Amino acid sequence: MSLFGTNTGFGSGGTGVFGSTTTDSHNPMKDVEVTSPPDDSISCLAFSPPTMPGNFLIGGSWANDVRCWEVQDNGQTVPKAQQMHTGPVLDVCWSDDGSKVFTASCDKTAKMWDLNSNQTIQIAQHEGPIRTIHWIKAPNYSCVMTGSWDKTLKFWDTRSPNPMMSLQMPERCYCADVVYPMAVVATAERGLIVYQLENQPSEFRRIESPLKHQHRCVAIFKDKQSKPTGFALGSIEGRVAIHYINPPNPAKDNFTFKCHRSNGTNTATPQDIYAVNAISFHPVHGTLATVGSDGRFSFWDKDARTKLKTSEQLDQPITACCFNNNGNIFAYASSYDWSKGHEYYNPQKKNYIFLRNAAEELKPRNKK
Amino acid sequence: MGRKKKKQMKPWCWYCNRDFDDEKILIQHQKAKHFKCHICHKKLYTGPGLAIHCMQVHKETIDSVPNAIPGRTDIELEIYGMEGIPDKDMQDRRRVLEQKSHESQKKQNQDDSDEEDDEDEDEAGPSSFQQPAAQPQAAYMPPMHPGPQAQGMLPAGYPGMPPMLTGVPPMIPGMPPVMPGMPPGMMPMGGMMPPGPAMPPMMPGMPPGMPPHVARPGMPPMAPAAPVTAPGIASRPAVPPTQSTASKPLFPSAVQAQQTVSGPSSTTSDSPKVTFPAYTQPFSTSPVAASSSTVAKPPATVTSKPATLTTLSATSKLMHPDEDISLEERRAQLPRYQRLIPRPGQTAAVAASAPPSGAVGGMIPAQRVIPPQQPGIRHPIHGQYGGPPQGMPGYMAGGMPPYGQSAPMVPSYQAGPPGPPIGIRPPVMSPGSRY
Repeated sequence: MSLFGTNTGFGSGGTGVFGSTTTDSHNPMKDVEVTSPPDDSISCLAFSPPTMPGNFLIGGSWANDVRCWEVQDNGQTVPKAQQMHTGPVLDVCWSDDGSKVFTASCDKTAKMWDLNSNQTIQIAQHEGPIRTIHWIKAPNYSCVMTGSWDKTLKFWDTRSPNPMMSLQMPERCYCADVVYPMAVVATAERGLIVYQLENQPSEFRRIESPLKHQHRCVAIFKDKQSKPTGFALGSIEGRVAIHYINPPNPAKDNFTFKCHRSNGTNTATPQDIYAVNAISFHPVHGTLATVGSDGRFSFWDKDARTKLKTSEQLDQPITACCFNNNGNIFAYASSYDWSKGHEYYNPQKKNYIFLRNAAEELKPRNKK
Repeated sequence: MGRKKKKQMKPWCWYCNRDFDDEKILIQHQKAKHFKCHICHKKLYTGPGLAIHCMQVHKETIDSVPNAIPGRTDIELEIYGMEGIPDKDMQDRRRVLEQKSHESQKKQNQDDSDEEDDEDEDEAGPSSFQQPAAQPQAAYMPPMHPGPQAQGMLPAGYPGMPPMLTGVPPMIPGMPPVMPGMPPGMMPMGGMMPPGPAMPPMMPGMPPGMPPHVARPGMPPMAPAAPVTAPGIASRPAVPPTQSTASKPLFPSAVQAQQTVSGPSSTTSDSPKVTFPAYTQPFSTSPVAASSSTVAKPPATVTSKPATLTTLSATSKLMHPDEDISLEERRAQLPRYQRLIPRPGQTAAVAASAPPSGAVGGMIPAQRVIPPQQPGIRHPIHGQYGGPPQGMPGYMAGGMPPYGQSAPMVPSYQAGPPGPPIGIRPPVMSPGSRY
């Protein structure tokens, strides 16, 4: 697909309706606004895989719905379809061929949405809300992995109501990521488990958390040969840990960095520390993006250990982000994440999903 | 090197309660964080020094020490490193550390070492090994009795060791092979530990034998026991692996959160450079001092069973609700998300909501709340299911349904009370069941 809008169409935020002249703080980066955003906080975003032409964005929200938009090359977004759960949707993912979307919800079920027929069927059942869902495509099997607050990780063949496998976790699943043959799950009480997926999923190693606060998001990164080699783990304390599974020199290779905090060096006023809500790696450059409760997103180069960019502050936290399959588009959602409790929740406040051209800003820094 | 008196326990900053392995580092910290002029960034040596500088050079008065926790902001108290700390605070601190170590250790050696500890006047005392502070060293000195202190430890000390080891082990995990001798968490490197002389010889021997103990505590913060562990220490390197099964020994121990000890202390033992860099990685804006402080801060948060976060400090505030559950869990507990409200196009069906915490007490258990939403009663057939709410007909108008629930119901959703008593309708509304 062509480069996503090289400044031809949308200069100011919103090919759509809003002139956005009055309130700028909802879109200070002047990025493209996705039309018909959900009515409640967006919990997850996922772009279609490279196996299908075009860019389709799926977003799950606390309004119990999952929406699909087509993102055209000129930046226009066209709502295509929507499905519902009976509880807030917490995670979504695509199948590898781009024909199905899997959605996980607080209603303890996961569904498979066939986009061609626009039908959904339930494919998973847990005893607690399902927090993460990922599609696993192995040479000898394919399945959906669901992580739930019922402390289990289950693997489902979509044709059967019973899981192919169920693994017990020490605590509730808070976030997970899968890049075959590796899967990482971060749980409550700072638990961190790595699974290997060859042949069949099994627990590979439990890792002592490199972070001292509640885990919030995790994303696997790959090495130069495109094999998963480590992961980035974000916590509620404005910090991300970069952790390699088998590094030559763990002490030197693994590190953490602070992010999403207010007043950087000014020690006169207390620093506000925000949670890192999501981490995404650029599929081509290997650089990463983090989004936080402070309403900013930042791009980082983990190999050069430098920050590439930090955005302006939006008026709401950024709750989800993802890159499209070729790394040209960075999507991020602006909605309330509950970081200040229910008092700050305003149901009338609009939720947004923004799209940004990511081709240039995520290029790695030249080291040394 | 031996300075016998270690100001009990590891050096800690009176202004912000952070622990450090070395007094030198503590002083650097104080200069950078508490005694630094906010106008010209000049680093002074003491609180009063800073006040005088601001007055003379900038004609500004300051009345509290920057970055100090409430209660410890007195600018007139002349504190330098560990000198000048009022006795009362020293004892409070000792007590706190002791409590913490008692909680995390529960090994019987604790009792054993307690007796021995008492013999040592130098230390603040009572606590057992666990105290990261010098205690360990002093503490185990007595036990060492068998055989000469240092040298004897290994062979002869062994019998006595066990008790110590238990306490010690905690530390060891943290101590990377590098340290071996360093035991008492203090970082012998600084030469702080009195046992110093004894230690060095031990060091080589230390590593061996550790593992068993180490594994137990699971990474106790301080190494105080280090010397003691010598016999047990044996495999420093082995320790980490057993403990955390993580690929890297350093991180796991460093991170220990379990232990109260400040993270830095344990980690530093192994290799100051290693651990600190980890936390202070280049990614801009990461002042070194800050990193250690953040590391130290959290210990309490993780371990607390009641699961509350406590990351308040004079310099930072965590923008997160206090309970240590995820934001999503917190949000999902609310009635509005539990009800399976039928958002557009959906019928209520299923109560399944039951969010993790099941908070909704008032709501009728699993009930369905009829698709409330619209005042218009949707119920009659709302779309696909043929009128699930059989009972509904017409109740909407305000008829308060039998259940009290209606009242609470919902704030935004339900316009009408559930309507017919549950009995009438099975919770699952539509026969067809959506799923």
